[in-house]
Amino acid sequence: MRLGLICDGQTGQRASELLAGALQPHGAEMTLFSGTPPQDSALGWLPLEPLAAAANPLLFGFDAVGVFLEGEALAQVPRIHRQAATLHQQQPVTLFSGPMRPLYGDALSADLLARLDYDLLCLQGDMQVQHLQWLLRGTDYEQKPSIAIGLWCLPTHPVGHRPSQQPLLVVLDQPQIPASPLTNAVLYERLCNAARESPSWLIRLQPDGPLAADPTADPSTWPETSLCWHHHQDRKPPANLQLGQADELAWSVAQASACLGLGSDWLLPAVIWGKPTLVLGDYGIRTELNGPLFFSSGLMQRLVDCLPLHEKIPALPAANPDWLDAIGWAVADGPQRLLLKLQDQQP
Amino acid sequence: MTNHHLLLIADSDSQLLACQALAQALRQCGACVTINAIPREGTPQAVIDALKRGGELWSQTKAQLLRDRRLADFSAIGVYLAGSKLAEFRSSYHRSCDQRQREVLPLFCGFNGVVLERFEEAIAWRLGYDLICLNGPRDQARLEQVLRHTPFAAQHTVLTGLSRQGGQAPAAPPQVQPQMRERQLVFAEQVVMPSKPGERRRMVQLLARLAQRSPHWQVVIKPRVAPHEATFHSVDTHIADTLREALGSLPANLQLSYAPLPELLRQSRLLATVSSTAFFDALDLGCQPVLLGDFGLRQDLGTPFFAGSGLVRQLGEAEDLDALEQGLTIDPAWLHWVGYHPDHSVANLLAALERRGEQRPDATPLKPSGYVVNAGDLSTNQLRCGAENAISCRDYAEAERLLEVALLQRPDNRNIRRRLQAVRYSNRLLRRLALLASPAFRL
Repeated sequence: MRLGLICDGQTGQRASELLAGALQPHGAEMTLFSGTPPQDSALGWLPLEPLAAAANPLLFGFDAVGVFLEGEALAQVPRIHRQAATLHQQQPVTLFSGPMRPLYGDALSADLLARLDYDLLCLQGDMQVQHLQWLLRGTDYEQKPSIAIGLWCLPTHPVGHRPSQQPLLVVLDQPQIPASPLTNAVLYERLCNAARESPSWLIRLQPDGPLAADPTADPSTWPETSLCWHHHQDRKPPANLQLGQADELAWSVAQASACLGLGSDWLLPAVIWGKPTLVLGDYGIRTELNGPLFFSSGLMQRLVDCLPLHEKIPALPAANPDWLDAIGWAVADGPQRLLLKLQDQQP
Repeated sequence: MTNHHLLLIADSDSQLLACQALAQALRQCGACVTINAIPREGTPQAVIDALKRGGELWSQTKAQLLRDRRLADFSAIGVYLAGSKLAEFRSSYHRSCDQRQREVLPLFCGFNGVVLERFEEAIAWRLGYDLICLNGPRDQARLEQVLRHTPFAAQHTVLTGLSRQGGQAPAAPPQVQPQMRERQLVFAEQVVMPSKPGERRRMVQLLARLAQRSPHWQVVIKPRVAPHEATFHSVDTHIADTLREALGSLPANLQLSYAPLPELLRQSRLLATVSSTAFFDALDLGCQPVLLGDFGLRQDLGTPFFAGSGLVRQLGEAEDLDALEQGLTIDPAWLHWVGYHPDHSVANLLAALERRGEQRPDATPLKPSGYVVNAGDLSTNQLRCGAENAISCRDYAEAERLLEVALLQRPDNRNIRRRLQAVRYSNRLLRRLALLASPAFRL
């Protein structure tokens, strides 16, 4: 099959490149339409922005096109493509799309509702499938085709890095979450205490996304809602509390002895790579912290119950396997399932 | 059959209104019901007056209630408060029963109207209640999905329906007789749906243009609250100000009305709303509801809940209100799914309470390792209460643990910080002085 992927933004680009990489070994011929070239130079790439790609007659040469965008362009692409098809007297190609992050609850509803104009929805696991059925029951969209293809949007393949020699706790810092600088300040203070209480451990504050559009930007311009900003402001941080680089995220997680976060997507690769993982439960289940996704994970703990690290981290409970299966880990043949479904969708 | 003697506890206006309807329905089923309206600034007097007219009304604070010996006379207590207060009440009530060696009554809680967002959070605050009242199969399906893989999957629930005016929803969709009513559309405004000022202006413009295209109709906007009143959500710009900003002068047949909603619904042919629970009040009172679909299906507007109703219309595209009124047929399967059906009524609650009276199952523990629920003494007030208890028992390590969590939640609270600093002193004299100098927390 010849498949195109229209994407933009860091999340869309990463997800599309992962999907292309997963589909290629199964015989799909992949082309990315994006403003930024893919990391894998062997991947077909056309430097077209999303709306220009949607109107481009090149699209009629594909069997199907995946669209992984955020914002208004997501709704505009199907409209533009169908209009272009009318003008060119062509059949529109099958357009597919789906959540580019592991979402659940209100965030998943909002994400899915914005994609109802697409011909096929790519979901991750049974939790999302059931949510979609619940959300659309009795509506005009009840029969919307969908397919669960696993945790396709995150790196889950084994990685080659060895864990750090010194015990390393990677704290996944979401630059905009929690949304209050003061909350981040208190959490930072607690992590400093944790570092002092466990001098044999290294604690790395690892941003799970860019802290600034320009990677060389002065750290004082980083968001005050990031732990990294607070570390930068601290004149005497503990010696065993250090900063990770945004572009070393995957490497950092792979190197970790354990991972901690509030609701970062990167907690899932950590779980899958077998890292003891801790979802900070001090704030309870809160929608804005991705709490609904981790509610049944079995990984939530209060920070105070995990200290000192050398005693408590080895005793952390493993992830609830039913939850892990339901969020998509049980789907082992996602790329094949998508290709088969797209073949079924062909006019 | 048991004689049910129930206490319903609520504070905000919307919860009091929900309790009023619940009490009315319970009384029709033969239960004896008392409502306790926890005193709260901004509660409309009209709501309090209506509660007084309906039956016995108390107005005690939570602390006064917990001390009240008459609590033992009830057979169950229904609690209709915001999430954190729900959990606090359950926890304080159980502690109070322990201290006073009183029998623990079954506790139930529910939702005041349709649940449009943050369902998981809402359930995480309600876990541990003997019964959670849900509106209908839609909510039950959601709850089962949320709890399926957790240790809380056995949480008991009961479907009590969405009938709002104290009666039972009819088996067939209600028939509206338009000829008996005025050519009037009442619009039930919501303070945060939509929330963006630009969209709120567009919303009133849609209504104004529809009014202009329908000169033989009256269009009445019913604000959710009067300018001086309070509700759960804070309001930056009252709808009266939005109307002035967006329209300048109003069409002659468009007006704001602060008359009680049931009164407006009894006289109007149509109710329009984005996603208000008033939709079900309209059904109860024989007014034809229609949903404003001009903003699309959006989670932040609550519109997906109503998408299957068959009543979503684009007001901007309607020729006039006569045309809009035609062909509005509600889907009975959807009504059943969301809970507006005689299968789902307070009779289910009474039957469930009766069954539980016969056999009290053990409560599911709320703090299994690896799971955190909001109801597990995780509200800031609960944490602070727990810390004060620990301080009184000289368990300073536990007090420190609880205050650290409380400070994470409320980093701007200086009293928590001062109390935390005090318990951290290892020197007994310094700790004692610091504790004396920092205010202790009391609910």
